[in-house]
Amino acid sequence: MLRLVLATALGRAAGRLSRLLGRGGSALPGLIAEKVDPRTIERLVAPVRRGVIVVTGTNGKTTTTKMLVGMLEGEGWRVVTNSTGSNLARGIATRLIEVASWSGRIDADLAVFEADEAAVRTLAPRLRPKVMVVTNLARDQLDRYGELATTAAHVAEAVRHAGVAVLNADDPLVAEMAGGAPAARFFGAAEGIRRAMPHDSGLYGSGEEPARPALDLCLERAEPEGDGQVIELAAAWGERARARLQVPGPYNGYNAAGAVLAAAEFGVPMARAVGALEETGPAFGRGQVVECRGRRVKLQLVKNPAGFNQAIRLLCALPPGTPVLIAINDLDADGRDVSWLWDSRVEDLAGTGHRFGTAGLRAFDMALRLKYAGVAAWSEPDFTAALERFLDQIPLGETGYLVPTYTAMLRFLDLLLPGTSKREAWA
Amino acid sequence: MSDLVIAHLYPYEMNIYGDTGNVIALRRRLEWRGLGAQVDLVPVGASYDFTGADLVFGGGGQDRSQLQVAEDLQRRSAAIHEAVAAGTVFLTICGTYQLFGRRFLTQDGSEIPGIGVFAMETIGGRKRMIGNVVVATPWGELVGFENHSGRTLLDPGQASLGRVKRGYGNNETRREEGAVTADCFGTYLHGSLLPKNPAFADELLQRALSRRHGPGVVLEALDDRLEHLAAAAAARRP
Repeated sequence: MLRLVLATALGRAAGRLSRLLGRGGSALPGLIAEKVDPRTIERLVAPVRRGVIVVTGTNGKTTTTKMLVGMLEGEGWRVVTNSTGSNLARGIATRLIEVASWSGRIDADLAVFEADEAAVRTLAPRLRPKVMVVTNLARDQLDRYGELATTAAHVAEAVRHAGVAVLNADDPLVAEMAGGAPAARFFGAAEGIRRAMPHDSGLYGSGEEPARPALDLCLERAEPEGDGQVIELAAAWGERARARLQVPGPYNGYNAAGAVLAAAEFGVPMARAVGALEETGPAFGRGQVVECRGRRVKLQLVKNPAGFNQAIRLLCALPPGTPVLIAINDLDADGRDVSWLWDSRVEDLAGTGHRFGTAGLRAFDMALRLKYAGVAAWSEPDFTAALERFLDQIPLGETGYLVPTYTAMLRFLDLLLPGTSKREAWA
Repeated sequence: MSDLVIAHLYPYEMNIYGDTGNVIALRRRLEWRGLGAQVDLVPVGASYDFTGADLVFGGGGQDRSQLQVAEDLQRRSAAIHEAVAAGTVFLTICGTYQLFGRRFLTQDGSEIPGIGVFAMETIGGRKRMIGNVVVATPWGELVGFENHSGRTLLDPGQASLGRVKRGYGNNETRREEGAVTADCFGTYLHGSLLPKNPAFADELLQRALSRRHGPGVVLEALDDRLEHLAAAAAARRP
């Protein structure tokens, strides 16, 4: 106990120092606390009254987590979450320390953590989640995670430590994890939506589909409306509901279904869950709008072929002539290998008539990808110059689309919102 | 009637790390010169007559696919050897490159037989060789991204593709990368390789076109400034 108090205190002090030095919300407090007491996470989450929920998978973690938190808070529960995207052990420890009292106590009904799919194997036995949601598995940053089969094996191992696994039935790699889980629930979508959302083996493999398990919750309809969409959900236990989501794309329909099914495990009725869904705005970097000099810049984070293909679908639906800036960095957090640009359906952008620019450390790689897809683009590796040129192309009062990798997004946020810390900007 | 027939080996099974970009590059660089290519997809199990192909491409895959592909390649071994002898141009990358050697010894000691077009073996290791690579070759400097744990050792007398200037290449000690036998090329470079290395892409096209249409085919020069900018940026990254 004394050790935990010390760990919490030192971690907190480190966080203050780091903020004083202007480094913002780093993972330093968690890192230091874990050095002092390697069981910081276990001890801090133990008193959380209703338990822990972990959300993992390649794409959709942050959005699903945000939706789920909205539903649970809507029930009047106190919820702890790592909402700013730091999803490794040190990030989760940091968040727990921030909300803990000086004696290392946490007053919360629930904790909802998104966990990196490579880190979840070691995190799950420590967090002992009551529910674990697995959104999907696609190839992502092979230089960091290695092969998809390895990632799938890690997540499957993690699922064993969850009370109930909430699994995407339409992703065969995820659905087959049911075997190792103490209990499993499945969400999925109607045929038409499912076809629009190819999973990894469908995207790259021979297309042989194993039989899908029976669904507990089905996304029956997802129709675009304005900036978002209207979805209809039907549960195997008889409840049905309709919701107007603020976020577009069938993949967000899946995220909503996963969140509703996880919330149902805690007794949240569907009618109230969809109410919370309608209130949920886009998550960090997933479709938020930043106002700048009378123009709107809409952010769409990309990090792997599946996510890039989703962004491409969104871009294809925009009116011709829309300014689009694609910014590709290759730092560790982005993935050092930019080969994935060639695995994405960039050819679909030919004929959109948009005005494309590319930026970032690998601006020329992106421009080259566009060139071979038959799409002209300007290139400006420098972030400040690229942003200037991009903003110039957006007519006053109109919207341009910024499609960055993770660290490129952070650079642009610093430029678009100077003096605002990221956490404040996106709280 | 197309000007060139390209066979894409294992397009579903061996297609990570953007290797499809190589086929896109070959096709586009022909189109920009007013030439057309027919691309035949050759997945595991499909029958294919290599005598009709001018240029054969095979990419890298995940371990699970590589076993399937190894078996399938054994069935095609004689046909591929004949095609190499007949001057068909081959570009094999990472997983397919390894299987064009004699064998792959995995880390757990099991042996995956290759087809022995290249006089070399690959031994699975613990260390993953990851990062941007620069290789000096007779066709200029090639830039790519490698990600492999297999260490490939060329037999004495087996020609390599070039000397490693940055990165690992075939293995961490010998500073050599890839292999070349007749018009068959093997390399670890992803990236995709050909879009950022247009001179090498054109070398392959030139050889393949000459095979079909006779010597004297002249490839019109293209504006490759963007290709060179992208290659230069990649060469500076860790």
